[in-house]
Amino acid sequence: MRRRLPEWFLLLLPAIIIIAAVVLIPLIFSLYSSFTPYKLTRPSTLWKWIGFRNYERILEDWKFWAAFGRTVLVLTIALNLEMLLGLGIALLVNKVTWGQRTLRTILMFPMMFSPILVGFQFKFIFNDNVGLVNNVLQSTGLSDAALPWLVDGKLALFSILFAEIWMSTSVFAILILAGLFAMPRDPLEAAKVDGCTPWQSFRHITLPFLMPFIFIAMTIRSLDVARAYDIVQIMTGGGPARRTELIWTLMARTGYVDAKMGLANAMGYVSILLSIAFTVYFFKKLSAARAQLGMTG
Amino acid sequence: MKYSIFRALVACTALVSSVESVSAADYGSFPGVTIDAKLIGGQQYEGLYGRIADWEAATGGKVNIISKKSHFEIDKEIKSDMAAGTTSWCVGSNHSSFAPQYEGLYVDLNELVPADEIAEFVPGNIKASTVNGELLMLPRAQFDVSVLYYLKSNYEDEEKAKAFEAEYGYPLAVPETWDQVKDQAIFFADPPNFYGTQYAGKDEAIVGRFYELLVAEGGQYLADDLRPAFNSDAGQRALQWFVDLYEAQAVPAGTTSYVWDDLGQGFASGTVALNLDWPGWAGFFNDPESSKAAGNVGVAVQPMGSVTRTGWSGHHGFSVTSDCENKEAAASLVRFLTSEESQLAESAGGSLPTRSAVWEANLAAANSGDDAFRAEALAAFAEGAKYAFAVPPIAEWVESTNIVFPELQAAIVGDKSVEDALNDAAAEVDEMMQDAGHY
Amino acid sequence: MDRNKTHRNRRRLLKVLHFLGLFLVMAVICIPGLWIVLNSFRPTVEIMAKPPVWNPSFTLDHYRAMFGGAGEGGVPVFSYLWNSIVVSVVSTFVAILIGMSGGYAFARYRFKGKSGYFVGLMLFRAVPGVALSLPLFIVFARLGIIDTHFGLILAYVAMNVPFTIWLTDGFFRQIPKELHEAAEIDGCTRWQAFWRVEFPVARSGIASAAIFAFLTSWNEFALASQLTRSVGSKTMPVGLLDFTAEFTINWGGMCALAVLMILPALILTFIVQKHLIAGLTFGGVKG
Repeated sequence: MRRRLPEWFLLLLPAIIIIAAVVLIPLIFSLYSSFTPYKLTRPSTLWKWIGFRNYERILEDWKFWAAFGRTVLVLTIALNLEMLLGLGIALLVNKVTWGQRTLRTILMFPMMFSPILVGFQFKFIFNDNVGLVNNVLQSTGLSDAALPWLVDGKLALFSILFAEIWMSTSVFAILILAGLFAMPRDPLEAAKVDGCTPWQSFRHITLPFLMPFIFIAMTIRSLDVARAYDIVQIMTGGGPARRTELIWTLMARTGYVDAKMGLANAMGYVSILLSIAFTVYFFKKLSAARAQLGMTG
Repeated sequence: MKYSIFRALVACTALVSSVESVSAADYGSFPGVTIDAKLIGGQQYEGLYGRIADWEAATGGKVNIISKKSHFEIDKEIKSDMAAGTTSWCVGSNHSSFAPQYEGLYVDLNELVPADEIAEFVPGNIKASTVNGELLMLPRAQFDVSVLYYLKSNYEDEEKAKAFEAEYGYPLAVPETWDQVKDQAIFFADPPNFYGTQYAGKDEAIVGRFYELLVAEGGQYLADDLRPAFNSDAGQRALQWFVDLYEAQAVPAGTTSYVWDDLGQGFASGTVALNLDWPGWAGFFNDPESSKAAGNVGVAVQPMGSVTRTGWSGHHGFSVTSDCENKEAAASLVRFLTSEESQLAESAGGSLPTRSAVWEANLAAANSGDDAFRAEALAAFAEGAKYAFAVPPIAEWVESTNIVFPELQAAIVGDKSVEDALNDAAAEVDEMMQDAGHY
Repeated sequence: MDRNKTHRNRRRLLKVLHFLGLFLVMAVICIPGLWIVLNSFRPTVEIMAKPPVWNPSFTLDHYRAMFGGAGEGGVPVFSYLWNSIVVSVVSTFVAILIGMSGGYAFARYRFKGKSGYFVGLMLFRAVPGVALSLPLFIVFARLGIIDTHFGLILAYVAMNVPFTIWLTDGFFRQIPKELHEAAEIDGCTRWQAFWRVEFPVARSGIASAAIFAFLTSWNEFALASQLTRSVGSKTMPVGLLDFTAEFTINWGGMCALAVLMILPALILTFIVQKHLIAGLTFGGVKG
């Protein structure tokens, strides 16, 4: 008699099939093409094997490494700030007793915005000549210069981070808020009776309880950090003078505009490894935090 | 821009279609044939597509628009198609700067279009549509060359004129040379409320502007053997012009992040004195509904460098794919969309034609009409078009601009010296051209 | 008495600070978004005005133009809206079904290499859209599903399945096995037991997974711009680019379309947000 496939496998099968079809096969294709001088406009170049030449080129290219380093930096700053701000916002909203449902919906407002729209939006808000920010600064007399938000090295990174954080802090705030709701009241009351200051009870009771929620949010975010590509592409396109070049903008330009897909796919693989590293890191943190709370199921 | 263009367009389309109707004899008969087309989308370009119904009625064919996307998106899509081998659609929008990249995708239209019809187009446009002897696209009435827009009020103020002459030693008038543009821009500038001029600061746009000035200074972008030659003395003078304006704060500080939409909106806000810009903006700038500068806009031929006047130019057109099943029908559609009637209708919206007869008709109409601004603008563009040149017809043009523009930016914002920036860019372009096997 | 007063003053001060903080946060969250809404009702000359105009005037021109004919500022809004709705709703629904079955497998069965499967599935979600878009295009082109709803739905289902598995897995684990066993003793099949016992309990978790999946599909651009081409399949984020041309961008018009894009998502979120909080509370953490 033929052995039947185990039930768990049958249940997982649709997920495995669809992910293999949509992600795995294209990934294998792009892995292969990263070993060729593949040019979009010359399909025959796909059959020329050049070994690790593309990877060597990337490794030797300081522009790539600058973009790589900047990407890591931007992600680290963005994720940490989003976490802190999300925590702060969640605490503020949690204290509110009236109209919380409306506040929560407002909180999720930025999640409705497509990243590409966020890019256009902040490109105009930070425009140095007719943008909202400079208009406000100049009208209120806070500054009479036209600050080049998208040009000055530091300001441009700030603007991009602002847009990114504006778009994504919601996820953190919502998840941490969910954590605050789930928190048992008793330990906090007990701490109050014992004479703990609010800071002490936050530090030793609330925060440890929230940690898993924070890491979930981190993990969710790290899964689609590359969304920042849409924003940066629209806002600065990586410029000026490569000051805001991220690994994704470099890759997209190499691949589509220069049509050098082989090289771009090699970069793609480095960026995939980067995303995976972030994800695995937060998964580990998440498991650790869960274990600490005895939540392993 | 929208409103005035639409009104004009609607009026003119009505006029044209009442006077002439498309005769079946001109475009052949293709009953039952369906042509798949990928057309560039966007307000400025779509007015023309309303005429497709006339072609369908005349020939019995049908047009199926399978993709309509913006300029850069459609370029990306066509490259993806080449990669996937999905190129059996028939008619595609094309651009003179992009055309050389699509090797083997499009047929030589010399074989499908009668020579005397090709001769009716402006020779320069046909030349710019030809790569290695193959006519890859037929130009539509979307020819782009830049001329100088300026705020007239700056030249009507006697005190300003006196102060300027005292400082610079020559009378204040609409600038004739790029050096005068620089002087006047610095003189007029009052950041952050008012700027002397502005320029496109990234992507192909700034390289095009640099290229324009480079040639005006007597330099070359690529030498005759296709080696990069822009790091010459002329190149340094050209780039220095951008750097000086930026340092003097005569341009908006954000100018290195601007491309065309920012520039157009900037001039329309009435806070920029001199603006080298494209024909599509003329109506927009002088329309009170969209522009604060309306009524105060002058248009003059582009200034000259130390050697000549130049105009980096490009134009849109339509191509027929090599994999198309019915090339005659496709070519018929392309001929129709670029015909004299189509060009008359399209250029009524303010864009520039690519047929000699349409140029003349438009100039005559503008001169006899009561719109003095339109006449002034059209005259400036007609003059400017004489100095127009296209980018080098090599597949690597766009790629080279991606190498060069960050270096130009680096010089402008002061990260590098002019000389270093140009030398670094030239070295990289040289490597790229070698990789591509040009020498 | 005196001490009480300072105490009360301090509390009052804290209250004011809390209110101020909240107000500031909400302002920062709302203003950039509301600015888009506002701009969709302002004439272009005013949006780009310098010096700025602070008293906005009101016009419906952008909306009127958007619904007008092609060449007059019109874009096929209803087609885009329809495409977005079909693609997002169907892909969310399918992703939830597939994800639920996967989540159930992880929660209820013991098998070798479980955590390996789990992390593996998650990692596929981490592949950046820009890196995936071209290879995916080539594969889809060979299959002939470019520019179809089906192709885009397929891509979005794959994007959303891992996260759904994760959330629902956490949920099913929360539900004591005894419940399920009791139902089976009462004569239910495993399938019936699932629908009658486990599914209702997990509902809010599924709702939160669904809203995340929906928003991801609704807003996705990188893949959609590559896999869609004509009016028949372009979704709203891709449609935004209709307002850009080689030299120009119609910002007011883009804002008007953006408002139409945000509204359905906002309404939907408002309706299900109660479930969302509840869902996230159980699902993610305890899993």
